[in-house]
Amino acid sequence: MPDSYPELQLDALRELANIGSGTAATALSSMLARPVDISVPAAHALPLAEVVDAVGTADAFVSAVVLPIIGDLEAIALLLFTTEDASTLCTLLGVDVDSEVGRSALGEIGNILGTAYIGALGMMTGLSLEPRPPQTMSDMLGAIVSSVLAIGATETDVALLLDSELTVEGAECSLSFMLAPGSEGVAEILGRLGIG
Amino acid sequence: MRKLAAETVVRMGELSVSRTPGHVLAGIGLGSCIGLVFVESFEPVVGLAHIVLPHSKGISDAALGKFADRAVPALLEQMTASGAAHPNLEVVLVGGARMFSLDSDSALDIGRRNEQAAREALEHAGLPVRAAATGGNQGRTVRVYVDSGRVTVKEPGSAEAELFTSGRAGSER
Repeated sequence: MPDSYPELQLDALRELANIGSGTAATALSSMLARPVDISVPAAHALPLAEVVDAVGTADAFVSAVVLPIIGDLEAIALLLFTTEDASTLCTLLGVDVDSEVGRSALGEIGNILGTAYIGALGMMTGLSLEPRPPQTMSDMLGAIVSSVLAIGATETDVALLLDSELTVEGAECSLSFMLAPGSEGVAEILGRLGIG
Repeated sequence: MRKLAAETVVRMGELSVSRTPGHVLAGIGLGSCIGLVFVESFEPVVGLAHIVLPHSKGISDAALGKFADRAVPALLEQMTASGAAHPNLEVVLVGGARMFSLDSDSALDIGRRNEQAAREALEHAGLPVRAAATGGNQGRTVRVYVDSGRVTVKEPGSAEAELFTSGRAGSER
């Protein structure tokens, strides 16, 4: 039941996020047939009260794909984009964002990114991880992020969030990819890396 | 708590009581979380807790508003310390949505369990719920106005709408 995470552990988690999001960016790039850049990932270990503000504006209306991860650890992968970026992504794929096909295309992006990300994570840690089917939704950022955090918040008031920004080149379109492991999940990852 | 001019944003796990004239307490983007609102029906005192989970299960060092079973007595105590009288307290619940329909696993239906736990704790404290905007699958923002005791709810894509007005609302301004 950690109350905080030392810098060494955050560095290791950042590195995991870096490799995970690199793999996810490659997957997105081949799906869109365009180059995709990734930012240096951030590992936030923050008091529960501060996490939503660290991610964005609580009452901003955003689109999201939520992808639960089960197996040796439980986590939620969350893909967030502005409604404009959701629409741009769908256009790149040749579908209308407001259609059923558009929603399932966004879900599929979430699925591909999430699967690539946790595949890399599993490879590095030896953990067996499996994504569940994604859910696409549009709502207030605060409502989505806080409900994801609530799932892993029982034991600790510190929330851990790995956050990477993916940018589709030439399309002015970016999305945030986040992994929110439960507190037991973090301990498990750190243990596997030998710095638990 | 983050302060914006006359508005205090009560974030995850926090609780706040105000009797400052013109002041507003806000819970922004409640999903499965519950905004627990107390309004004094005669005095200009209001309170808001941003509940995240139903039961503390013996965890005693968590943020005061985080668990429904602890948030109810904690907010009650702060309200009475600020001059509210128990029999005059009116309770409003907002939030508790089921944001994710990902699976049938009830462990993920935190919203419903939050509301249940809050209602149990309120009943235990002898506090009836006067109004509620709970359940569903959308996020909500709740605002509580100190001056009027008014409670409003805003859902995505719609305007701020009144959910509850205390008896003292008409007597002011």
